[in-house]
Amino acid sequence: MSGNAIRQVTQDRSLFVPAALFLVLLVAVAIRGPSLFTTNGLAGAILVASPLILTALAITPIVMAGRGAVDLSVGPLMGFINVTVITWLVGNGITNPVVVICWAVVLGAAFQLLQALIIIYVRVAPIIVTLSGFLVLSGVNLMVMSRPGGVAPDWMMSWGAGTSVMSPVLALLIVAYALWVVIRRTMFYRNLCMTGADERMAYTSGVQVDLVRIIAHVIGGVFAGLAALSYTALISSGDPTQGSTYTLQAVTALVLGGASLSGGRGGALGSTLGAINMFMISYVLSTFNFGTVSGFVTQMAFGLILVGSLLVNVFVISRRSAA
Amino acid sequence: MVTKVMTSEIVSAQRSNPIGTHKSISIGFALLACLLLLGALLVPGFVSSQNARSILLLAAFLGLASVGQTLCALVGALDLSIPYIIGGANILLPSLMVAGLPAPVAMLLVVLLGALIGAGNGALSFKLQGQALIMSLGVGFAAVGAVQIYTSLGSQFGGTVFAPVPGWLRNISAFNGTFFGLPIPPVIIIWAVVAIALGWVMYNTWFGRSIYAIGGSRTAAARLGISEFKVWTVIHSVSGAMSAITGMLLLGFSGGGFVGVGDPYLFTTVAAVVIGGTSLLGGAGGYGATVLGVLVLTVLTSLLVGLGLSFPAQQAVVGLLIVPMVAIYARSPHIRNQI
Repeated sequence: MSGNAIRQVTQDRSLFVPAALFLVLLVAVAIRGPSLFTTNGLAGAILVASPLILTALAITPIVMAGRGAVDLSVGPLMGFINVTVITWLVGNGITNPVVVICWAVVLGAAFQLLQALIIIYVRVAPIIVTLSGFLVLSGVNLMVMSRPGGVAPDWMMSWGAGTSVMSPVLALLIVAYALWVVIRRTMFYRNLCMTGADERMAYTSGVQVDLVRIIAHVIGGVFAGLAALSYTALISSGDPTQGSTYTLQAVTALVLGGASLSGGRGGALGSTLGAINMFMISYVLSTFNFGTVSGFVTQMAFGLILVGSLLVNVFVISRRSAA
Repeated sequence: MVTKVMTSEIVSAQRSNPIGTHKSISIGFALLACLLLLGALLVPGFVSSQNARSILLLAAFLGLASVGQTLCALVGALDLSIPYIIGGANILLPSLMVAGLPAPVAMLLVVLLGALIGAGNGALSFKLQGQALIMSLGVGFAAVGAVQIYTSLGSQFGGTVFAPVPGWLRNISAFNGTFFGLPIPPVIIIWAVVAIALGWVMYNTWFGRSIYAIGGSRTAAARLGISEFKVWTVIHSVSGAMSAITGMLLLGFSGGGFVGVGDPYLFTTVAAVVIGGTSLLGGAGGYGATVLGVLVLTVLTSLLVGLGLSFPAQQAVVGLLIVPMVAIYARSPHIRNQI
């Protein structure tokens, strides 16, 4: 996997910026807070960063399918799975791990399937459909659970301790990557890239673009389910509001990872790098003592890094298309 | 590659929209009439000058915030920095006044800063086109972070700023504000003036027509000697300035600076633009359509409040209604009809 990853970085120029940023941040972490590299530090980092990594992965296939299909609803979808697991399942005494995991994955996939069907058969622009999904789910989340509360199932409690690197949360990540590696080897993946790059060309070449789009959404939904599980493990309870903020963060991670919101370009590696970079930025900033303004410094730094990395991307990509 | 996708989308938008826009405006009016009728029938006290005033007041804020979003949508961009600039202006103005600047000077400064951030946003995002929305998000984060750092230096209340709001500013935006003795909050008049002026500019000036030309076809606009970069940057700076103005007017409404005041405007401005019938891919629609969208959205919310729905339920209902509303007039053609 890692050799493959290195080859990918050297070949795909859109990965240059996120990979370079990753190395810079790694050095910064080593200087400012080397405790991240201890067992405890790594375990905690995996726990804290995995909801964002998985959410970024969830929107990756959907964005790759093109048509400006930024899935705005992914954050609230994650929140919806979180609150329904806590309120409907655990609240009614259903704590069987198999049921909970199936519920999360199936619910995510089902919702994304619904959105894909609306996008394809009602033929409304994806961003409008997902905006509407965002509003509906943010509202419904608060109706299911009016304030943060509840407890995660007992078997999940230990996940949130974050004391061991080999935790079930890491297993979620591994499952997600394994799934992605399998997808990459399929015909579907090539069709997905083609559809995203030029939908009309793909259609005329005989690609079933509607089917590609449906599969991309369903895969995104499965990842959203995994993201919801890791998020539930992280907070060990239900929270109807936090999910929404993950939308903007996930889109940010995706773009930081070198994906194009116009589709056709992007991948799991880029999205993961983007999400890890975001985590490391806030980690490094938290080692400085800014007192009461630290939250604002983090926000400003995010903004500036986002702007900077987009600008560098512009140059890297324009050089590539010129060549 | 990216440009190819963009142009293909613009072509499809163009084909489907010239008729679509007129249809969307008549449907918008019909929808507004239906909502008003429903309100009159179902909600006691819906037809009253009190309620009309509160609807128009809330619509005015959303309408002013949506000016920039409409202009950006017309060239196929989205400005996600709007809520952050609103929030930034909302806390920057009082803290500048506490620092001793007279209110008019402080307001001018805030508007200029808003326009400047907008211009920077436009200039930086121009090359990105399809990803412009993320650039505007980054610029918004950076701007609001900087404002918050500035306002919280030497204060322990991060994000909230306390300062006496001048009486006249309060009057402009308050529910019981008066305009030359008339019981109309002046912000409604401001909105009306902005809407009329903008409508005139859009249809009668070279600049206004340039926006439509670029939204319609980049190549054709370039042949006409229109500088796409200039239009793009000016539009974004107008958006920044309007957001700053909205943020300051909201200060008069709420009475205290709070950075989160702009948050609801991120998705509601997009919703208002979309419901009005302006295509997010550019070229079709206009501010008149957005005014209609804003009114539909505000009347709908007021109706839902009158029916006793909680805020989350309102949000869910509005979300549920967007897709069918847009589906009536803005369905894109099937891929086999786009080739």
